Amino acid sequence: MTGGYDERCAADLANVCEGRELAREDRAWLARAVTGAVRPNRDRPLWDLAHALAALARLTRAGAGRDLVTLVLDPQLARAEALRARFAEAGTATGTADARGLVLQGDAEGWRTTWSGLARLLALAEFVLTAEDLAHFSALSGWLDELVSAPGPEGAAFLAKRLARHLAAYRNAHLPLAPLERRFRAILGFLDGRRAFTDDDILGFWQAEMGGDERPGFRTVAEHFVTFEAVSALLGDLEGLAAAASLDAVEGWEDRLDASLGDLAVEPAESLAVLLAGIGDAPKILTGAERDDLADLLRLEPFHRTRPLTTLRAASFGRVQSGLANRLRRGGGGAEIAERVTCAEAETYRALADRVAALAAHLDRMLRIAAALRVPADAEGLEPEVRGALAAALTDLRRVRRAGFDDPDRVTAGFAAADAALLRLADEIGRLGRALAGLAGERPLEAAFTADRAIFARTLAEAYAAEAA
Amino acid sequence: MSDDAAGLLAEIHAARGLLRATARAAPSPARAHPGIAALWAHAIREPGAAVDLAVVRAIRTDPDTARRYRTLLAAQAVAHAPLAAAAADGRIASRRIGAFTLEFLDGMAEGPPLLVIRGENPRPPRIIEVILADDAVRVALPEPIAGAILLALDPAVPDVVRLGAMLRNPASAAFLL
Repeated sequence: MTGGYDERCAADLANVCEGRELAREDRAWLARAVTGAVRPNRDRPLWDLAHALAALARLTRAGAGRDLVTLVLDPQLARAEALRARFAEAGTATGTADARGLVLQGDAEGWRTTWSGLARLLALAEFVLTAEDLAHFSALSGWLDELVSAPGPEGAAFLAKRLARHLAAYRNAHLPLAPLERRFRAILGFLDGRRAFTDDDILGFWQAEMGGDERPGFRTVAEHFVTFEAVSALLGDLEGLAAAASLDAVEGWEDRLDASLGDLAVEPAESLAVLLAGIGDAPKILTGAERDDLADLLRLEPFHRTRPLTTLRAASFGRVQSGLANRLRRGGGGAEIAERVTCAEAETYRALADRVAALAAHLDRMLRIAAALRVPADAEGLEPEVRGALAAALTDLRRVRRAGFDDPDRVTAGFAAADAALLRLADEIGRLGRALAGLAGERPLEAAFTADRAIFARTLAEAYAAEAA
Repeated sequence: MSDDAAGLLAEIHAARGLLRATARAAPSPARAHPGIAALWAHAIREPGAAVDLAVVRAIRTDPDTARRYRTLLAAQAVAHAPLAAAAADGRIASRRIGAFTLEFLDGMAEGPPLLVIRGENPRPPRIIEVILADDAVRVALPEPIAGAILLALDPAVPDVVRLGAMLRNPASAAFLL
């Protein structure tokens, strides 16, 4: 387990995201609320949730916890506009809402949230209620019964504490964060206060970690650096985050943090897996091998643009290492350990660069076909060369020898569904190609590969010495 | 750098991974099973109200969906008795559901048999649902009179006849809602 979550948690979250058709930003917020990536207090969303439920109980004059459950599980109430339409008027009349959102009057200033904030909190409520395949649904419904019987700030605070304990137990069971935290602490120690790092820092850190018991994959370590780079770029002084640690956080600071974390957490959601899923299998615009290559080369987004050397290392030697790990897990199959650690089978950087070029050429060809299918060659106002290119692409289409390309209707439909994803993929693979060209200009790929192979072979041989013997 | 920075990095790393995993799972055009929201809507419906046939079918045919549905019923029930593992044998004349006693009064001089529900609860049940194997029936209950709810098991009303037959089987699950 290197991702920090288990299948159950991914399924629990997917159920809520799908059922409510959450936008990316809201999915990101929910994922952060679940993992606890909220500062200054990771239980703040639960505090807000408990107050929102108390305010809703007052507003709707809920008679029992089940009335709140019905509001939480109603997919019609997943959006801010729907919540405003349903509750703003009645809430204003009773002092539990205004045009901006929900209000819970209490001592001093009271508590409030916006309608879009409420939409997010209800998604969190659904997650908590339905998690672990409803294992705690009854208990939580009972807590809501208690809240409904006294829906004030005190009841809300009590529920918030219960929910915080509950989610902490859930995190213990389904979010193995401790190994991740150890690794990030080690990265912070390795960089010794630096925020900037080089490709060789990543390699050096991986080598150091390979001396320990965990023997993490080079790709896994590189993924940690992706997160580290993204977080430190957005938040700058990570130290400052630890300072304020109470619920009475400075107003505004949290929103700024939330906005930047939201952007950060959102970014991989539209990543490769989604793009590849967007390209159907009929016609076969991409073969299985091409998909695997794209996934392998682009998985460390954004490093394929910014750190081509780490991308090559992960693709070439990362594959050797996962082969080793798989063989150890299976207890056999394929080449011997002693043979694998020499990295004799590692794909050279030159060969990888050639494959990137071939993928770029193929994606470009498919894009031309997509354009030709979308724009009729006799459309008005086309430049003669564009017209020629479109006609050439249509001729080229007939030359493609792949499954499904002989059926014009499927080809038209398949490309129409895929062209946005194709464009993104072609763009990204083109950027990797340019980054690799830049790298080759500084240092011949052959020399870089030979030097790296010596390092990886030595490190793997030492780390797997016991198994290789 | 502090421990909290490492903790936050770990939490963000996991959130990013989760987002990637849920995005991958997202394109599922036809859900195999109804979601919890649909099951809940079914669980809180009024007796005789229109039902979503896909939900009814899923509860009948998919054991996991059926179990989730019973969980949702149990959570909102005033009292409930779970499905019994033992096979049914014979007809019983009375049974307990939580703090409630259910009694069948047969062989009245005239009129249909009666189901009498007695029990102490600040909120009297409004609805009874009984589940046996893949069959389920939901019937509205009248207001209690002097602490007892009386339901006539009128042979002319198919639902209450089924309710009586299923309830007499000790293996059935019963929910007072």
